[in-house]
Parts: sequence; C-alpha cells; structure tokens
Amino acid sequence: MNYAYLLAVIFAMGAVTFALRALPFLSAHWLRRSPVVQHLGRFLPLAIMALLLVHSASGAAREHATGPWPELLAITLTCLLQWRSRNPLLSIVIGTAVYVLLRNWR
Amino acid sequence: MPARPTSAGSSGTLSVTALTAPVAMGYIPLGMVFGFLFVQAGGDWFMAVLTSLVVYAGAAQYMMVPMVAAGMPVGTIALATLLVNLRHIFYGLSLLDTFPRSPLLRWYTAFALTDETYSVLTTLPRDTPPRRLALLALLNQCWWLLGTLLGAVIGTQARIPLEGLDFVLCALFAVLTVEQWRARSSPLPLWTAVVAYAVGSVVIPAHALVVAILLSIIVGAASYRKGRL
Repeated sequence: MNYAYLLAVIFAMGAVTFALRALPFLSAHWLRRSPVVQHLGRFLPLAIMALLLVHSASGAAREHATGPWPELLAITLTCLLQWRSRNPLLSIVIGTAVYVLLRNWR
Repeated sequence: MPARPTSAGSSGTLSVTALTAPVAMGYIPLGMVFGFLFVQAGGDWFMAVLTSLVVYAGAAQYMMVPMVAAGMPVGTIALATLLVNLRHIFYGLSLLDTFPRSPLLRWYTAFALTDETYSVLTTLPRDTPPRRLALLALLNQCWWLLGTLLGAVIGTQARIPLEGLDFVLCALFAVLTVEQWRARSSPLPLWTAVVAYAVGSVVIPAHALVVAILLSIIVGAASYRKGRL
C-alpha cells in the first residue's frame, strides 16, 4: 500500500469537498443573494444528479459485453422502490443485490 | 440568555434523536459498504476510516475505490470529486441564516453538509438553536464513521469475488435523482441533463460529463431569464 499516494488522494478529495460545501458561506453577499444563483441552486442539483446517474451507469455497462440491460433493469427497480418507499437503504440494497445477481448468474 | 426549562431541553434532545435515527439507519449500512469495498480493493481498515473522517462524501468515496485501485493520478481523482460534489455548492445557500455563528461550529457544519444532513437541516424550523444543527451534523458523521469501521473490519475477514458490488454508486445516484425529482419545481433540469449528456458523448466522448455539466449550467442560467422555472 502506497501511503503517500493514498494520503494525497484523501486530503485532495477532502479539500475539494470542503471548498464546495463552504463556498456559499465565503462568497460575496450580492453573489449568494443573486436571483440567478438562487435559480441555479434549484435547477442544477437535479440536472447534475441525473448526469451522474447516466454517467456511472454507462460506465458500468461498458465493463461487460451483455449490453446495458442489467443496468437499466436495476436502476429502474431502484428508482421505483425509492419513489414508493422513500427508504434509501432499502432501494440501494435491493437494487444492488439484483444487479449483482444479474451480473454473476446470467 | 435565559435558562431553558428542563422539559424544553429534553424535548430538544428527543427531536435530535428522532432526526438522526433515520440517517443512522442509512449511514451505518452504507458506510459499511464503503469500508468493505475499500478493504476488498486492498486498502487498510484505518485508511478507510480516515477517508470517512476527512472526505465524508458518500458518492465520492464509492467513486474513489476503483480509481485508487487503478492508481489514477491525484489530480484526476480530485477533478472527479469536484464533479460528483458540485451540487454541494448550492446546499449552503438555503441555510445561510440558520447556520451557527461560532466559527468552529459554523465551519464544521459546512464541512459535514452531506445530502442527508442537508435534507434533515432544511426540515428544521428557522428558530432552531444553531448548536443543535451542529450536533445533528456531528451525530450523522459518527454513524458514517461507525459504518465504515464495521464494514472495513468485516472486509478484512473474508474476500467476496462478486462482480458488480460497486453498482452501489449507481444505486445511490438513482436514489438521489428520485429525491431531487420529488423536490423539483420543473422537469426541465432532467431533460436538460439527458440531452446535455447525449451532446457531450458525441462532441468529446472522453469528457462527456464535464461538457454536459457545463451545458447544464448554461441552460440553467438561460432558463432563468426566460422565467421558465
């Protein structure tokens, strides 16, 4: 295990994450009260989350040759479960378990 | 400051317990998944715990495991962290007025502003004592640390060669997308994301995500002027 490398990764990730979370408390008053910034605050979280979902799912689909069906099925199931149950743990555990089953016993 | 009656104090403690319990139900097992995956990829248990202490961002931590295992450059991982956590910039905006004033509590609560802590803090009444916000944030990180430790310890006991366990990251994104969709004021951000990603994968396939996020920011800013949201 390369500790210097791992420590560099951990502290770089920590610094980036903290900077993002702390930015609204540092930024100028006019900037954080700006209606455009407020609007982006309502617009971007859904857009970025959907992008991350599509990006990570297409990355997973490229790692095997069976086509994107396990990803599509497991994500649809996870979304339906979350929509109905509002229980993230249940949705994530069942969605991942179904995906692992599809990938290992198909 | 006037002394509070004991009953108010204890009901306050109760409400903190009631608010942190659902987060614990999610953070302990999801933290375990991180600790487990980290150790299975060849990491030490104490480095998994250090990651949950210093980074404390679920999706980014899941993402880092295969990247670190592949020995990717620190800069690449930092950029990926920036993209995955970009949404957190906007979390503080709605909490500016209710946040603790004391520097230590204020910066710790900002540091600990994960998706779940944000959603719990935004449900609190505006006159909630700032110390209670900080206490909630701290308790939530404790659950995440506890889960990480448990998962890492279990991971050192047995190797499970199952393919697809890292799908947990996709599943987490799916859950967060559904919750953002529930809170939406317009479906436009979702369609923007789908189109932007398609455009990104055609224009610069290697950086489809970056292109798509930039396009979404442009569309988001433009949609304000049109007053569509």
